[in-house]
Amino acid sequence: MSPGSSRIRNVFEPMDPSEVAGLWHSRFGIPESEFDGFQFFRKAQSIWVISDSDLPKLSYEALGMRIMSLKDRPWKPTTSALQIFGRHASKNLVHLDEEQFRVFLAGGSQLFGSDSEPGYVVVFYRGEVLGCGLYSHGKLVSQLPKERRMVI
Amino acid sequence: MDHLEKYRDIVPDFDDFKAIQRLPLFNSARINTLKIKRTSLLERLEAEAVPYQTFGWYPLGLRLDVESPGKLLENLLGYIHIQEEVSMVPPLVLDPRPGEQVLDLCASPGSKTSQISQMMKNRGLIVANEPSLARIAPLRSNCERLGVLNAAITRYDGRRFPRGAFDRILVDAPCSGEGRERRGPGTLAKSSCKRSLDLQALQIGLLKNAIRLAKPGGVVVYSTCTYAPEENETVVEKVLNEARLEQISIPGLKECPGITAWNGEPLNDDLKKCARYYPHLNDTGGFFVARLIKN
Repeated sequence: MSPGSSRIRNVFEPMDPSEVAGLWHSRFGIPESEFDGFQFFRKAQSIWVISDSDLPKLSYEALGMRIMSLKDRPWKPTTSALQIFGRHASKNLVHLDEEQFRVFLAGGSQLFGSDSEPGYVVVFYRGEVLGCGLYSHGKLVSQLPKERRMVI
Repeated sequence: MDHLEKYRDIVPDFDDFKAIQRLPLFNSARINTLKIKRTSLLERLEAEAVPYQTFGWYPLGLRLDVESPGKLLENLLGYIHIQEEVSMVPPLVLDPRPGEQVLDLCASPGSKTSQISQMMKNRGLIVANEPSLARIAPLRSNCERLGVLNAAITRYDGRRFPRGAFDRILVDAPCSGEGRERRGPGTLAKSSCKRSLDLQALQIGLLKNAIRLAKPGGVVVYSTCTYAPEENETVVEKVLNEARLEQISIPGLKECPGITAWNGEPLNDDLKKCARYYPHLNDTGGFFVARLIKN
């Protein structure tokens, strides 16, 4: 890796929006136009989204919302981003019943039948996006961030 | 409570003011229109039999009669944000518009940042500044849960935030928090004149820099959740050469004018345009708010 690489310098590097929109479209079928009006940045292994506007020259800790991690393969969407963009998904999504919802909300894993491709899925409950799940081998594992888990 | 005695001459109905300090606050929340329409949220609460009342003065404010509103699914989904009633006032006084450039100089935990974002309909830019590394995480987490997409976080000492020409700036300054007694009993016991004077130096530094960072004609709102004039009018008075005060009035909410004398010393007469919110007049916490226009 060259010394100028963003992974070493740890700065926000602007990205081509169509590159990001293309990834979300191919995994979840979300229309690329849903990503219009935003700019995207990569910092280390994360991609961030922020509304289009001029950014003053400052040292930033965060630019809008972290929407995906490239740390592992496949890339992983964040729960926050799925709550915004996930409702436009047309594939690789699952709907939970009430009992499954409780397990998911508590951060658990459960046996689950779905025709989704293995990998990250958009998890819905009563028509609303709860967040990110990992589906594989007939199991659904909640990917809710720890601070958002709940036992009800 | 003896600490409050020094305010006997400036607070109307002083005995009621003292008595209400022991009464805990209602749980309150703001409807997050970045993620849900007001009508849809109210329908959800009704369907789930969650007891609520809307504020008389702010249609997006709710009193929730539940023990742990943070455990409502609506909170997890970012449809509501738990926020003290009167703390929803400073963003309304700031009055940000979609597309503007706004600076929130003391932003964590992001209640006001996210309220500003919803007023801007996620358009334009909010620079949300927070010097403390430990307080960046809750700021980020709240903004992300609430679907804020137009905020960028910085970590400068607000007194030395380097540059900008912002349309609007909120300085919700660190303060002694006397107005929080109903939420966290014991705050008053820790208050003292010395503590207020220690904070005053920081508050003046923050407000002076905010005035510098605003564009000419830009709006700067200064707020605290405390009563001490040393942290309020005395601070605002220091920038009246560079900015002028505008009258604050929120229909449906009772405010008292800023004070124009303290400890026998006269203060600038214009300071009466500031607003003091007292807990016994609206059944809320306490707040101080000033709206300044940079020359």
